[in-house]
Amino acid sequence: MSEDEEEDEEVTEPKAGPENDLQEEEESKDTKEGHPRELTEEEKQQVLHSEEFLIFFDRSIRVMERALAEDSNIFFDYSGRDLEDKEGDLQGGSSLSLNRLFYDEHWSKHRVITCLDWSPQYPELLVASYNNNEDAPHEPDGVALVWNMKFKKTTPEYIYHCQSPVVSVGFARFHPNLLVGGTYSGQIVLWDNRSHRRTPVQRTPLSAAAHTHPVYCVNVVGTQNANNLITVSTDGRMCSWSLDMLSQPQESMELVYNKSKPVAVTGMAFPTGDVNNYIVGSEEGTVYTASRHGSKAGICEMFEGHQGPVTGISCHSAVGPVDFSHLFVTSSFDWTVKLWSTKQNKPLYSFEDNADYVYDVMWSPVHPSLFAAVDGMGRLDLWNLNNDTEVPTASVTIEGAPALNRVRWAAGGKEVAVGDSEGRVWIYDVGELAVPHSEDWARFGRTLMEIRANHGDGEEEGPVELAT
Amino acid sequence: MLQAEVEETIKRIQSQKGVQGIIIVNAEGIPIKSTLDNSSTVQYAGNVHQLLMKARGMVRDIDPQNDLTFLRVRSKKNEIMIAPGIEMYTQFLLG
Repeated sequence: MSEDEEEDEEVTEPKAGPENDLQEEEESKDTKEGHPRELTEEEKQQVLHSEEFLIFFDRSIRVMERALAEDSNIFFDYSGRDLEDKEGDLQGGSSLSLNRLFYDEHWSKHRVITCLDWSPQYPELLVASYNNNEDAPHEPDGVALVWNMKFKKTTPEYIYHCQSPVVSVGFARFHPNLLVGGTYSGQIVLWDNRSHRRTPVQRTPLSAAAHTHPVYCVNVVGTQNANNLITVSTDGRMCSWSLDMLSQPQESMELVYNKSKPVAVTGMAFPTGDVNNYIVGSEEGTVYTASRHGSKAGICEMFEGHQGPVTGISCHSAVGPVDFSHLFVTSSFDWTVKLWSTKQNKPLYSFEDNADYVYDVMWSPVHPSLFAAVDGMGRLDLWNLNNDTEVPTASVTIEGAPALNRVRWAAGGKEVAVGDSEGRVWIYDVGELAVPHSEDWARFGRTLMEIRANHGDGEEEGPVELAT
Repeated sequence: MLQAEVEETIKRIQSQKGVQGIIIVNAEGIPIKSTLDNSSTVQYAGNVHQLLMKARGMVRDIDPQNDLTFLRVRSKKNEIMIAPGIEMYTQFLLG
């Protein structure tokens, strides 16, 4: 082995001296407590710039970072002698406790988080999209970072950027290596984690055939063999694409209500299991149902109720003994969250506990009567309708009270990710509250009946029953 | 990884909570880069190098096909993590 070392030494640091001397020095180093010889600054720099060093460094620093971050203390002494080292809030039993904070000094700073999405394939991966950093005009305007919950390292798993602020992002459901981004310019971009590039591997054209306005909604719908990317921009244009070919949309249509002006779409959601019918929210506060194909393709029904732009829409998704897939919730600048059924064109209920714009809302993927909402005052609220419909069941104000732009439940329904206006992603653990029990579905059915029964007050006309 | 990123990465890790220092040595155990002062560096480098040689020798002795990939020394007060390169560089972290 010592022979190998000598050989490498000669390759990496051309130091004068025959082999014998080097060997002697080594031996003497072992036998006596001599000082190892020093390298000159020049030699050190040479080494640090060499290819082999860079490869070695890249590989081993990765492992080091993980080992460093892991820090699961196998020596922990439960008798309490170690307690002075213990840090962090012990919030056993509380409903909402902070789990992680994802923030990158370089890429997250001074950027607003515009969208969040959990990976359908790897539940520990979360992508966050960011808009531009006004303090750094030379940096790319649009950033998307993939964060990893599994390891404790605090740097993103993948860093992507593009020229225009990214306003929506999502993992391509049936293409595990692809990330779809909708940008402010109207361009749809595709990033691929198989490529080493941080820039998009595919982009849609910036032409009238595609989008020329911000695309706040990107959604992959369908099945493994037959899927489309649906995108809607704020000028009411809806395009359907194949992820293999983004040079032109497969089909596109203007979303127009009653043959008048197009709808300024701010959000879109597909009810669980539906690939044809969807719901859109608009800048005027109106919500519409629409369908992609069929004789009535385009906007179908109008749902009025909000008095400000609709910021978020979420369709009921918890699967259980009772089907609630006709329900959806919306959030708006008008300080409220409203509960609707696709069968009625007026809200079933309005949740009015907020004192600022409500920026996003999402149903729990597992619990039938639970949804999360975030507002501009830094509040993250969890509403369990089986428990109380007047006030949230659990609420927390994020440290620093930043405006919270997005909320997304993880697929298991046990964590929520919240994105704020300062580039930070907060992951909160939801405790017992998140776990559904089998009777929750029946209970929710009764809660809905009560809501409907009490609905009469405050509305001039009763809701119109709509044919589904 | 680029050269500039190496500097940045070292700085970033150094600033993490709990990290006392990072030392990179060559195959001989001579420090190439360190975030600690000179005397500490020399002391650590010499000691770790000897330990590393012993550990590596042990692994190979037991099974000549095997090789040492990572070494962690946990003490009451702290921990040293040692990542040996392929006969070339070793990097260790004091936490």
